[in-house]
Amino acid sequence: MGIQEQYISEAAGLLASGAVKLVIGYCEGSTPDRRRPVFVRTPAEAERLMLDGACVANLSTYLITEGLLSDGKSVAVFLKPDGIRSINILAAEAQINPEQVVIFGFDIENGQARTLAGRKASDFTSVVEAAKAAGLSADLQKESERLVQMSAEERFEYWKEQFSKCIKCYACRQVCPMCYCRRCIVDVNQPQWVNTSSHTLGNFEWNIVRAFHLAGRCVACGGCDRSCPVNIPLRLINHRMAKEVLDAFDYYAGESTDQKPVLATFRQDDPETFIL
Amino acid sequence: MSEPFEPKIVAFVCTYCTYAGADLAGTSRMKYASNVRIVRLPCTGRISPMFILKALQKGADGVLVSGCHPGDCHFAQGNYHARRRWTVFRALLAFTGIPEQRIRFSWISAAEGAKFAELINTLTEDIRKLGPFEQYHELQKVIETQSTY
Repeated sequence: MGIQEQYISEAAGLLASGAVKLVIGYCEGSTPDRRRPVFVRTPAEAERLMLDGACVANLSTYLITEGLLSDGKSVAVFLKPDGIRSINILAAEAQINPEQVVIFGFDIENGQARTLAGRKASDFTSVVEAAKAAGLSADLQKESERLVQMSAEERFEYWKEQFSKCIKCYACRQVCPMCYCRRCIVDVNQPQWVNTSSHTLGNFEWNIVRAFHLAGRCVACGGCDRSCPVNIPLRLINHRMAKEVLDAFDYYAGESTDQKPVLATFRQDDPETFIL
Repeated sequence: MSEPFEPKIVAFVCTYCTYAGADLAGTSRMKYASNVRIVRLPCTGRISPMFILKALQKGADGVLVSGCHPGDCHFAQGNYHARRRWTVFRALLAFTGIPEQRIRFSWISAAEGAKFAELINTLTEDIRKLGPFEQYHELQKVIETQSTY
């Protein structure tokens, strides 16, 4: 029995027994090579679930839907290692109770889905450790270093060109499991910190602020990058932040459900080479 | 002959150390460049990165953020939290092409009036050499001149 059939029958069983009220998984997408999220509430509907190499979205973002978990019932969700890290962060930030989340873990290897054993976030410690050991994306690191080699002016021009494309659709925010603020800072208008119209300065500020808020929290699922309608390399800027917290504070986001957020804690001997 | 460029510098300082240090510089009759606009805040932990972006948006050519030395914070931990935040924010600004020389951080205690005066003078000279932050400010000018926004 393949991973897809196994997970379908398990999901149907969990729904039939009432152990979970909802299964969030993937189903057929608009083209043969795409998968879209599906919300399964009855055992019969579980037949729609699919799991293969095309399942890339980080579905943990649906768990922060307001009120979803407030009745204390459990929800099952299909997650890759990056999604499991998102669950850890959300639990550490007291946004969800990890006991209410049943995880159907999988990873994609050579275009095929592979089972990750475990059902609770805490069962996947070794998976997260392996992800940490594998390091941050080498491709992004290469591109990031290319930018660092430039002069500040050139880098500014590069990002100016990228951000000038932004239409402030906020798809990056909507798709992100870490963007759960009820009132996002761009929606605050008293005082208005960020220009809301989509001119380049406002776009610059918005993207800087979002990258800063994701520092030490982004798990590089690539959701923002994929959802961006104008292809701004958002993953690159988030990668730079992930590298900074790793280098400066030896911090890797989403290691466990009780890992303290990097900017909510400190050590007395933190580096401070830049302070006069 | 044109006037020399006078940079606009915004200093976000904590009230217990750096502001008191600036006060000491004043009461000791030390002279320092008048290019700096000081914004007094309760603690460096109160200084949000948004303040820095807002200062740049409103035409600052340089920003200074300053507070108590580690261990001296009136609120015990505020400057430690701020230090982490700056480490990350500074890397972010550098990566997006905002020159590191324009955004400076320092620890200045209430007893370091001379250090404050000296830092402001060097900072002003450094920024004067860099010139106005046109690259950033022209983005704001576009907004003001184009009615389509």
